[in-house]
Amino acid sequence: MLGIGRVGRTASTLAVGLLLAVAACGGESGAGGGPVRVSVWAWYPEFKGVVDAFNASHTDVQVDWTNVGTGPDQYAKLKTAFTAGTGAPDVAMVEFQEIPTFVILDALVDMGEFGAGDDRDLYAEWAWSQATDGDKVYAIPVDGGPMALMYRRDLFERHQIPVPTTWAGYAEAAARIKAVDPTAFVASFGSDGGWINGLMWQAGCRPYGYSAATARDQVKINLTSRECRKVFEFHGDLVDRGLMAKDPFFTADATAALDSGKYWTWAAAGWTPGYVAGSLKNTAGKWAVAPMPQWTEGADDQGDWGGSTFAVTKQARNKKAATTVARELFGSSEAAWDVGLNKAFLYPLVKEVAADPAFTGKAYEFFAGQKVNEIFVPVSGKLGEFQYTPFQDFVFSELNDRSAEAMSGSRPWRTVLEETQKNVVAYARQQGFTVTE
Amino acid sequence: MSTSAERRAAARSRRFGEPSPRVPHVLMAAGVLYFLVPLLWVVIAATKSQPDLLSTPALWFGREFNLVDNVVQLFREDGGVYGRWLLNTALYSGVSAVGATALAAAAGYGLARFSFWGKRFFETALLGMIMVPATALVLPTYLILSRLEIVNTVWAIILPSLLSPFGTYLVRVYVAESVPVELIDAARVDRAGELRIFWRIVVPMIRPAIVTVFLFTLVATWNNYFLPLVMLSDTDLYPLTVGLTTWFNTAQQEAGTRVLFTLVVTGALFAIVPLITAFVLLQRFWRGGVGAGALK
Amino acid sequence: MTSAPPTAAPDADRSPPRRRVDRGPRRSSRRTTAHPVAGMLFVLPFFLVVVAFLVVPLGFALYLSLFTKSLVLGSRFSGLDGYVKAFTDPLLLDGFLRVLLFGAVQIPVMLGIALAGALALDAVTTRFAVLYRLIAFMPYAVPAVVGALMWGFLYSRTFGPFTGLTTALGLGEVDFFGGPLLLLSLGNVVTWAWTGYNTIVLYSALQGVPREVYEAAVVDGASPVQVALRVKVPAIGRAISLAAVFTVIGTLQFFTEPQVMARFAPTISAGYTPNLYAYNQAFAYSNFNYSATISFTLGFVVFVVAYVFVFVSRRRGAGS
Repeated sequence: MLGIGRVGRTASTLAVGLLLAVAACGGESGAGGGPVRVSVWAWYPEFKGVVDAFNASHTDVQVDWTNVGTGPDQYAKLKTAFTAGTGAPDVAMVEFQEIPTFVILDALVDMGEFGAGDDRDLYAEWAWSQATDGDKVYAIPVDGGPMALMYRRDLFERHQIPVPTTWAGYAEAAARIKAVDPTAFVASFGSDGGWINGLMWQAGCRPYGYSAATARDQVKINLTSRECRKVFEFHGDLVDRGLMAKDPFFTADATAALDSGKYWTWAAAGWTPGYVAGSLKNTAGKWAVAPMPQWTEGADDQGDWGGSTFAVTKQARNKKAATTVARELFGSSEAAWDVGLNKAFLYPLVKEVAADPAFTGKAYEFFAGQKVNEIFVPVSGKLGEFQYTPFQDFVFSELNDRSAEAMSGSRPWRTVLEETQKNVVAYARQQGFTVTE
Repeated sequence: MSTSAERRAAARSRRFGEPSPRVPHVLMAAGVLYFLVPLLWVVIAATKSQPDLLSTPALWFGREFNLVDNVVQLFREDGGVYGRWLLNTALYSGVSAVGATALAAAAGYGLARFSFWGKRFFETALLGMIMVPATALVLPTYLILSRLEIVNTVWAIILPSLLSPFGTYLVRVYVAESVPVELIDAARVDRAGELRIFWRIVVPMIRPAIVTVFLFTLVATWNNYFLPLVMLSDTDLYPLTVGLTTWFNTAQQEAGTRVLFTLVVTGALFAIVPLITAFVLLQRFWRGGVGAGALK
Repeated sequence: MTSAPPTAAPDADRSPPRRRVDRGPRRSSRRTTAHPVAGMLFVLPFFLVVVAFLVVPLGFALYLSLFTKSLVLGSRFSGLDGYVKAFTDPLLLDGFLRVLLFGAVQIPVMLGIALAGALALDAVTTRFAVLYRLIAFMPYAVPAVVGALMWGFLYSRTFGPFTGLTTALGLGEVDFFGGPLLLLSLGNVVTWAWTGYNTIVLYSALQGVPREVYEAAVVDGASPVQVALRVKVPAIGRAISLAAVFTVIGTLQFFTEPQVMARFAPTISAGYTPNLYAYNQAFAYSNFNYSATISFTLGFVVFVVAYVFVFVSRRRGAGS
């Protein structure tokens, strides 16, 4: 795969000779009887409870869980393991946007061969379509991030600013917030690939197209459509006018700003209630959730920020058992979702779980008793198709780097997408793809 | 820069070694402030609760004194994994430092006091080895070690850390400067074995260099981030640097339901205390050795 | 530190450099006795580690760099094409320019502070000097990762200590991660970490300068500052240039601080420094072959720069 051919082996042999005694110490337990053990990499919070629930309810398969790091850290390890040909777990947590990337690296098993196709109707349509490619099932959805607008109800009410229902209204609110409190911002432009992607999704921008099953070497990239442009031009304008801050999300600064009245809104996702309840103490009870502002008055267009799945890797020793684990760690397990919903605050992509009154009817203290899932759940049903490229890391990093240039004033906002398009297309061609724009 | 006040001071102190202490002391006071304030911040920040950390003045204590809670949480989080990281770090750096120092001491002595085929070439290459970017080695080393199935074990950290060309270079220079050939010849005349000469005569004479190399390799492994980041995928094997960044990244990601900034800060404090203590306690030894590297 | 006359040989155990630094390599010290096998055996363990963890990995990296990998076509032999691409890759060249710019400012500043500190230490013998030596050295013991995290918090606009300072000065909240300040902010982290180490190195070199060299100047009525700048600094020229070489090597490999700080500073792009670029090529884009090519190119540049530096400073040293 890498060109670790003969020379690689010779080099290894040489090194073996030099290391002899020590290598023997890396002992490994042999496969005996008993249940099949399946190794899982995941970084969900409170995941131990989920693993325990699985192990308690299965006798033939047992899960060994490791948290090797969050997001990019874990992907880096996975990619190294696939390059080395060894070291990957049997099952790995993979976010939606990474699935095509691992598919083209030939890293994922088609779980359709082990009957995973039967799960189709269990999951939200958009999620299932991102996790599969034709008949091939590459991942089992777990959680998502349908977007909605978090805002400081107390401040909006005190200053009699209407909660925006359109982006035009959002811009007006932003200006009024600045007039009321010059140190405050409507929100921050957070330099987060997934967040920007969610906003683009909501705007009807569909910049990517890829299906390995149809044509492994063809990819669609069109970042310069009107729908995509308007997102950057709108937010860029707010940033340039000083109405929107520039702190990256989840930094201590951004957290402090959310918790001090410096930011009045946050276009957040279905998993945010857990995150904010855990980290914002001063402003608890002062926030509320409203549907996302729309581009056209009265429309109902929605976007998603984040979400993840379980995939079985090609290095799995027992692919059938691994598929069972991927399907049933969450799946329709009540015990698992009890942890997932009430401790980890995941947004469930299992339709039944999301529709359950126990979820939709849950009142959040942080939102002064508001049943916020009543807003998030319908969003998930409205998401529609959205595809990714098989090199999404490159695309997100380009988008981030070019946006950062625009934020620091060294690039006009309207060229962010043009430049990204140019660089991404060049990269795709270099990687051997035929690009349609 | 030379003011008349200094001239007068110089004139006053005829004997050398007592120049005006004012300029040096002002310089040093500024330096102490610069070097100490960030460390002071860690100490203070470790006593704060999360809301205090994010809202109270940075260089003074918060509304509540939370140090004990923070430390308890630090050592309880994820089933007490921080304690493991601390022990792992001590193990990796201790073993690597002892090993690397032993190798460097022997090789440095061998290069300085013997002549054999290929020595010249090896010595020239030594300087080149110091310049090889460590990050360039980590990746191919990973690919090789994964063939040997020793990635994700302690050996994947310890074995590559045994390599210290700078240590060898330092010992070589030091031996050349401070171990007289005559002394070794005299020992040989007395029919002492080569190993005995090395152990009984050379090692005691080059102790400052040995302590210095030991401390340098200790620090290098203790502080190493890239190698364990690539080599390890088992949380229980992580050293502090990788473990702390894992927590920090979790704190920075949407995945976290709790923000762990206090944990990261308290963890940082406990990561730096042991090494600083080691340096303070051993300073008598390393001071003499550090300069040796500057000789060549 | 005592100001004993240089004729009295100082404690041989502790500070031999002081004795011989000025004399250069002695002839007699080059003399070696004829036990080639014993010598080889002393060097052998180190040699094996060098082969296993330096020569073999480097050879392997070189081999990898001769292949080009694409997502669609997999990897194929391409000879030196990768290097042609690397030397014309605008992102990589940007990264090189950035670290060179960074080094051009940060290295002189850091070595300047270190030299000032070393001269101060050399000039006084108070307890405070002993304390200074310890405190200045402390940041060296702080892992780069932890140092970068710490400074990341300290630079905070909302709760960092500098915000109070800049607001008091009427500058408002300063964004240490934005625009041109970012490089300076990174430079400060590195300066903080390494100044003390270099101070001690230069101080040790100063200790090696024989007292009679500047006693003459003192007798001639030179002020302490004049002695420091005109006599002491030239006397440790070699140590300074060696410290500079090692710092240049470190700077070209700049990685950990920008990698950690990227969490705070979105302007730190995927190709911010060459090493970061190599990392991202391998671990984000799965292009291990090009990553190896970049690493090799970087190693080559480090090598050339370091040797040119050593060569120039030797020439200068010989000329003066």
